[in-house]
Amino acid sequence: MKNSNHISQVVLESVERHLNNTMSKQEALDFELKLSESPEFRRQVKDIESLVLGIENQSLKERLNEFHKELPENHNKNYSDNTTAKVPWGKIAAAILVFLAIGGFWWYHTPQNERLYAEYFSPDPGLPTTMSSTSQFDFYDAMVDYKQGNYKTAIEKWEALTVENDTLDYFLGVAYLADKQEKNAIPFLEKSTRNTSFPLLSDAHYYLGLAYLKEGNLKLAKKNLRSSSTENSQTLLSKLGNNP
Amino acid sequence: MRGAYKFNQQLQLINAIKDNNSIGLKAFYMANYPKIETFVIKNSGSKAHAKDIYQEAFIALWNNVRNGSFTPDNDSALQGYLYQISKNKWLDVLRSKRFKSTQPLTEERSLFLKQDDEPYDDSEETKKLHLTMEAFKNLGEPCKGLLKTFYFEKKSLREIASEMAIEETSLRNKKYRCMEKLRSIVLTSNY
Repeated sequence: MKNSNHISQVVLESVERHLNNTMSKQEALDFELKLSESPEFRRQVKDIESLVLGIENQSLKERLNEFHKELPENHNKNYSDNTTAKVPWGKIAAAILVFLAIGGFWWYHTPQNERLYAEYFSPDPGLPTTMSSTSQFDFYDAMVDYKQGNYKTAIEKWEALTVENDTLDYFLGVAYLADKQEKNAIPFLEKSTRNTSFPLLSDAHYYLGLAYLKEGNLKLAKKNLRSSSTENSQTLLSKLGNNP
Repeated sequence: MRGAYKFNQQLQLINAIKDNNSIGLKAFYMANYPKIETFVIKNSGSKAHAKDIYQEAFIALWNNVRNGSFTPDNDSALQGYLYQISKNKWLDVLRSKRFKSTQPLTEERSLFLKQDDEPYDDSEETKKLHLTMEAFKNLGEPCKGLLKTFYFEKKSLREIASEMAIEETSLRNKKYRCMEKLRSIVLTSNY
């Protein structure tokens, strides 16, 4: 960057319009012409572009640090951090013992059905939320909460909608399940399976089957899993013993 | 049915990157970090190394998507690309002298270090970018906040002016003066 002369406000703002693609056709043509004719102008434009790039890169870097603080702390805990010199074997052994004790307790005291439920339940990944779409804004707004795991907020927003539709019932059902409220999930999932041309019918039956399994209603669980063609429902059915 | 959405999600991600959409960027950041942490830690690194490498890779991906040198061609392309950049960057670190001198080099590790090469980017452009970033980092308020909101968060002057309860024209002048200030800092630092 040369210190020779100042960049005027007019030039700065024209470069901003150039970067945002908000120039009129005529202005864009003039801009290009000036770029090709004047080395001084070229240098000024480059200077501004590199300033903007630096601002954006540094801002992004700072934003990433904010994101990082929100990561769940202890994934990969089994690897010791290189910066800590000693591996606390005693603590690890104690942790393993506690883990085994809790695990064993859970294993012997949780009914088979709940174990299978825990093994097979993972929430639907959700629908893509198109940022630009304004129709059905409320539905997709709640979908963002759902995807971030804020099931209670998503449920609240979806419950507030007055429209009736299968997709809404389906996601309400799955959100209730993910929020560990099987009792509330069942009526919504039941509703979503009534329409046989619903595109997510198979998934709806699967989640409904899981909800009944969690409830301990094996008969209805199997009935719904049989109506679902997903791979998981078939393997789950075989584990449950495929008799009515 | 879900598979059909995936490619669409890549496009959304591209848009989030281009608009610096915080929700989209955050979701992408959070989802891909664990895999890279695992890779770095399995290969003689620490959590702190993993964080640095991942953030560098993330910023590189952001720049490459912005300037059009990378466009996704399948439904997990961005994720794969991010992993690849992180991996290459970590291999560079492992190959570097400083790291080698502090770690005993076993046969297995030296074999591992010989995998795919990527030249270290030490160009004028990169130096200038780092210089500008450093200058902006230390710019001080209110200039830093104003430039960040305008150029990174892409809020319009009208929006910012109404939030700050000042006239749009005086905000425009402020922004210009802040840019001049930043530019003069960059110009006076050596590179």
